[in-house]
Amino acid sequence: MKKEIISKKTLEYLAGLARIELKLEKEEKLLKDLGKILGHFEELEKVDTENIEPMAGGTIQINVFREDDAMAGKNQKLVEAFPEKEGDFLKVPAVFEE
Amino acid sequence: MELKNLTIKKFHEGLINKQFSAFEITKAFFDYIEKKDSEIDAYLRLTKDLAFSQANKTDVDLANGKELDILAGIPLAIKDNILIEDEPTTAASKILANYRASYDATAIKKLKSFGAVFLGKTNMDEFAMGASTENSGFKTTKNPYDLERVAGGSSGGSAAAVAADMALAALGSDTGGSIRQPASFCGVVGLKPTYGAVSRHGLIAMASSLDQIGPIAKTVEDAAILFQAIAGKDEFDATSVNYEYKLGNAKKLKIGLPKEYFSGGLDKETEKGIEEAIQNLKSLELEFKEISLPHTKYAVSVYYIIMPAEVSANLARYDGIRYSQMSNVSGQMSLRDIYFKTRGSGFGDEVKRRAILGTFVLSHGYYDAYYTKAQKVRQLIKKDFDEAFKEVDVILTPVYPTPAFKIGEKVDDPLKMYLGDIFTIPANLAGLPAISIPVKSKKSEVKGELPVGFQLIGKPFHEADILGIGQRYEQLIYA
Repeated sequence: MKKEIISKKTLEYLAGLARIELKLEKEEKLLKDLGKILGHFEELEKVDTENIEPMAGGTIQINVFREDDAMAGKNQKLVEAFPEKEGDFLKVPAVFEE
Repeated sequence: MELKNLTIKKFHEGLINKQFSAFEITKAFFDYIEKKDSEIDAYLRLTKDLAFSQANKTDVDLANGKELDILAGIPLAIKDNILIEDEPTTAASKILANYRASYDATAIKKLKSFGAVFLGKTNMDEFAMGASTENSGFKTTKNPYDLERVAGGSSGGSAAAVAADMALAALGSDTGGSIRQPASFCGVVGLKPTYGAVSRHGLIAMASSLDQIGPIAKTVEDAAILFQAIAGKDEFDATSVNYEYKLGNAKKLKIGLPKEYFSGGLDKETEKGIEEAIQNLKSLELEFKEISLPHTKYAVSVYYIIMPAEVSANLARYDGIRYSQMSNVSGQMSLRDIYFKTRGSGFGDEVKRRAILGTFVLSHGYYDAYYTKAQKVRQLIKKDFDEAFKEVDVILTPVYPTPAFKIGEKVDDPLKMYLGDIFTIPANLAGLPAISIPVKSKKSEVKGELPVGFQLIGKPFHEADILGIGQRYEQLIYA
């Protein structure tokens, strides 16, 4: 496992990917906490996982199928919950900037 | 009728024998909540109109000679990450402060069909991320046994409400111990079902390969009744399984004690409690055997890689557009600004920490070293249980290394908080059913002592084993 205590630059990059605005005064504590947590994960290096299949989920189900039918109607209450709408469409600001 | 003596069965008998009406009991609960909850802070909000209309319906049904389900009129508290149609639902996050649920969770729909009454929505750690409710965006729930201590978490509001007689029973959710640990801290029973036993539809997702809804109750019997009501396959959750629960006699079961879990590190009171539970179970002529779960010591690292990875994906939907808007955001802003401002001010510190940690372990260059590695060790942990269950039927462990800790004791040190989850996480990683049961009966509790729970972990879809042993235990200590 690569030993990496996240740098301030990496933290800001990750926060950008996660679309989270960070407050400057909280960054230092966050960096310290993440460093400690990632440091703890190093114990996994000791575990021999040669030829072990990764466990992808909690379920015992394999290939759950159903007919590809649209289910009856839409939930109008979902539409009503939109903060802004036009007709039954969710209204969003322009996606592409000029 | 004293609220604190009520169980589901006693309530049902009292109701059909006309000792009281569902409306009267519902009102009595609300009167008591209004007195008591100012010191406990278990509820985020009450759902009075809904509760009274549900209670009235039960009373009318009974007057009309309809046969009532055992859950008809039963006053329940519901964790605020479980959707009840038309009711505000926040998962204790400011980002959902103005959100109203558009539909019922499947577990709620089922309980409604049986006539249950919902008193209100309970406090929790924001999006179920925490072990003390201190990460709630709104308030911290206090432990009814000691108001300076935490109720546990993340389902701390549900556990405290049941423990303080502000609900007959409750629903919680458990991703890494969030039902069992607060149940242990508050001296009540908490069941995390097998992954797939209860539909997750309408549960606000935290980590989808680990989350399960389950009951918190005063007795194992009540927990079993509630579990039976909410279990089963649901077309809206592809991981749910067709499963009919039947209670067995739980007589000839063998209990495994993992040697790794009893080699120090336990608080004295907890150790004493676990020893007492084992002695009690021995008097029921249950056989014990030492077993080994060698990889479970890595459970905290595995969990705190896999869970944040899933969190970072599940939280993407809180974009400030679909559900409700924060007050610092307007439609005039650019899309990018809406995302950053909404999530920056709407999420609390722990949620941000997990979203960023999850983004990191999934990012290019680190994915294999962290995420894939954790998935492989998760497989080894599951294999440990598969091996152990060839020799024993049920595994007994502590729930938490200590009784309830003080408010403020751990909240500033996330790793310290995470390490406490060591005994509860393995059941989630392996998808197994597990229950927390108080060691002592209410009448034998010593004043000033904090409650301690013990955990029974069962084979997949063998809830009957752990509930069965639990009910025998209960009959013994209450005899």
